[in-house]
Amino acid sequence: MSEKSLHICHLYYDILNLYGDNGNIRTLEKRLAWRGIGCEITRLSFGEVDRSADYDIIFIGGGQDFEQELLVKDLFAYKAEWLKNEIEKGTVILGICGGYQMLGNYYEAADGTKVEFLGGIDVHTTASDQRMIGNFVFDYRGEDGESFSVVGFENHNGKTWLGEGVKPLGKIVKGYGNNGEDGTEGARYKNVFATYSHGPLLPKNARLADELLSIAYARRYEEPLAPLEHIMEDAALEDIRRQLGA
Amino acid sequence: MSARAALAVMAGKLTTMILKLMGSGGTSLPGKVVLKLCPDILGRLAKDMKIICVTGTNGKTTTCHVIRDMIEAEGKTVFCNDAGANLLGGVVSAFVSASTLGGRVKTDYALLECDEAALKSIVEHFGELDVTAVVTNVFRDQLDRYGEVLTTVNKIRAGLEQLPNVKLVLNADCSLTTSLNDLPNSGIYYFGMNAPLYEGTSSDISDAVYCIHCKAKYRYRYHTFGHLGGFYCEQCGYQRQEPDVALTKVLEWKDGSEVVEMNVFGKPVKAEVMLPGGYNLYNALAAVTIAHLTGLNEDSIVTVLGGLTTHFGRMEQVQLGDSSLNLVLVKNPAGFNEVLQFLIQQKPTGNIVFGLNDNYADGKDISWIYDVEFERLTGAAAGAKGYYFTGKRAFDMQLRLKYADFDTDKFHVEKDYKALITRLKQEGEQTFLVLSYTCMLEFRDKLSEFVPLKKYAREQ
Repeated sequence: MSEKSLHICHLYYDILNLYGDNGNIRTLEKRLAWRGIGCEITRLSFGEVDRSADYDIIFIGGGQDFEQELLVKDLFAYKAEWLKNEIEKGTVILGICGGYQMLGNYYEAADGTKVEFLGGIDVHTTASDQRMIGNFVFDYRGEDGESFSVVGFENHNGKTWLGEGVKPLGKIVKGYGNNGEDGTEGARYKNVFATYSHGPLLPKNARLADELLSIAYARRYEEPLAPLEHIMEDAALEDIRRQLGA
Repeated sequence: MSARAALAVMAGKLTTMILKLMGSGGTSLPGKVVLKLCPDILGRLAKDMKIICVTGTNGKTTTCHVIRDMIEAEGKTVFCNDAGANLLGGVVSAFVSASTLGGRVKTDYALLECDEAALKSIVEHFGELDVTAVVTNVFRDQLDRYGEVLTTVNKIRAGLEQLPNVKLVLNADCSLTTSLNDLPNSGIYYFGMNAPLYEGTSSDISDAVYCIHCKAKYRYRYHTFGHLGGFYCEQCGYQRQEPDVALTKVLEWKDGSEVVEMNVFGKPVKAEVMLPGGYNLYNALAAVTIAHLTGLNEDSIVTVLGGLTTHFGRMEQVQLGDSSLNLVLVKNPAGFNEVLQFLIQQKPTGNIVFGLNDNYADGKDISWIYDVEFERLTGAAAGAKGYYFTGKRAFDMQLRLKYADFDTDKFHVEKDYKALITRLKQEGEQTFLVLSYTCMLEFRDKLSEFVPLKKYAREQ
């Protein structure tokens, strides 16, 4: 019997890594390893693309404005077609903050100028002068129909609006979420999970991490992923949730 | 000195006195009172002085500490603002304390630790005065305060632009800091390291991957720490400048000090630097540059470096019964990684305490603990007796170490400082405590109920 393993792509690992984004990769890797499952990580930067690789999960983090222009140029030069194809065929994709915005249609600045983004999921982002910052909590309804809380930290000025065919990832309990107005947070389209919960979203949201892994694993091996304890993860989650009064 | 300024100084001194009587450690309030009465007080009080400003993300306090020793070794007098009181109010308070009632400051130097974001408000009244500014480095700090790393650079720039005659002392190995060299100045001096610091050093350059001028990817001849090192841009030619004060080699790593070879404005100098952790060598180099500019000779520089005593807070040692505590302050990933490098060399066998708060001064966003490379410590700290977690976000810190493969059987969460201190005292071990800013303040407050401690300056 050959050893089972998932293949993770960390897209723009050296640019979209503003704040602890590596914690997400680490979490996926460890939660596979603790189940005796291997994990190969491919890190792609500017000018690089490996169309033949068969990824189970693609992770896209958040970045600084300084690099946005370069990033969009590279996206259309090397990765747009491939990434759209991955989305449509159901590859598990986690996009956070800048990575979330980039998967959408466009970003509209305060003066009305538009920056074209991937157009992989039907959302768009508009600039605002409102700083939406702080710990936040949203309810996520899992594949099994059971809901659970996700706690993260958001820090954005952009307001994201969901279009047709895209569901919110969750419902805001505390904080701003997509735009601070409609009570939605993040986006879900096929197996794309997009959220404003920046940085290390997955470590203390182990159930969400396992959700991603379960979908990816089932797609690859056509069998369910074994359960794994998340006691310390829940302790961190519950502790901050209690402090936030959510 | 106008009557208004004299009145302001007097009011400031009175406020200080009242605060002392009330037993408060506050250091910013007198400054605020003075500014209300006389907004341009700094320009007036600093008029005939030599001013040294130290700013940058990491190492400000230690650098000031070493510079102070250097200046005093010259037989000159200097006053400083208290560690941590590095916003405008704290600086004004320091000037007022150093001033006579008539509004004269009699020391030769004002040595000012300046928060990057507060630099402009502090220096804007100095104008044409004799100011030397040290920029230690620029790293990602608490993003919720500063936005992005370039914002920090721009805040420092906005400050230095106020000073057309400034002498700049810049970290040659930091591409962000070096980019300030296009500012008006009356001299630029660089310090840096001409070789990598340690084997297998952290080379997480993500704070500055792309050229600040042309956005091409930097290349490196070598790395010293984080994004620091021998950077160059192939596209536009922007590159590390040859340092005037360079560390050429670390001859020996000792427990709490390093024996090094330096080149100080062309002269080879060998010295033992009595500061723990290789990262502190950058702070020493910055201070040596200042010492040379102020006229201290090489022999005296060597004497001072060999006689430094560790400044509290940054690495404070406290005896608690049979336990010896080493308190270390951490504020951001780069600083924390430096502390980890120190711990790796120590190979701890006692206890290690990690304390994390998420108050404003710590950074509300604790994401940064995932940019700290705890994985590098896992093996070296495997012999530790226990890992303790405290502070408001103790459980997040615990989880971070779980994902760095630390032995979870040795984990203990204890948010109650009193209970934690009692436990550490009973243990009778050498203990390293690595604490975020407000966690350090709270922990020390509680610790002072067990053992006498020095006053710890804090911002109001």
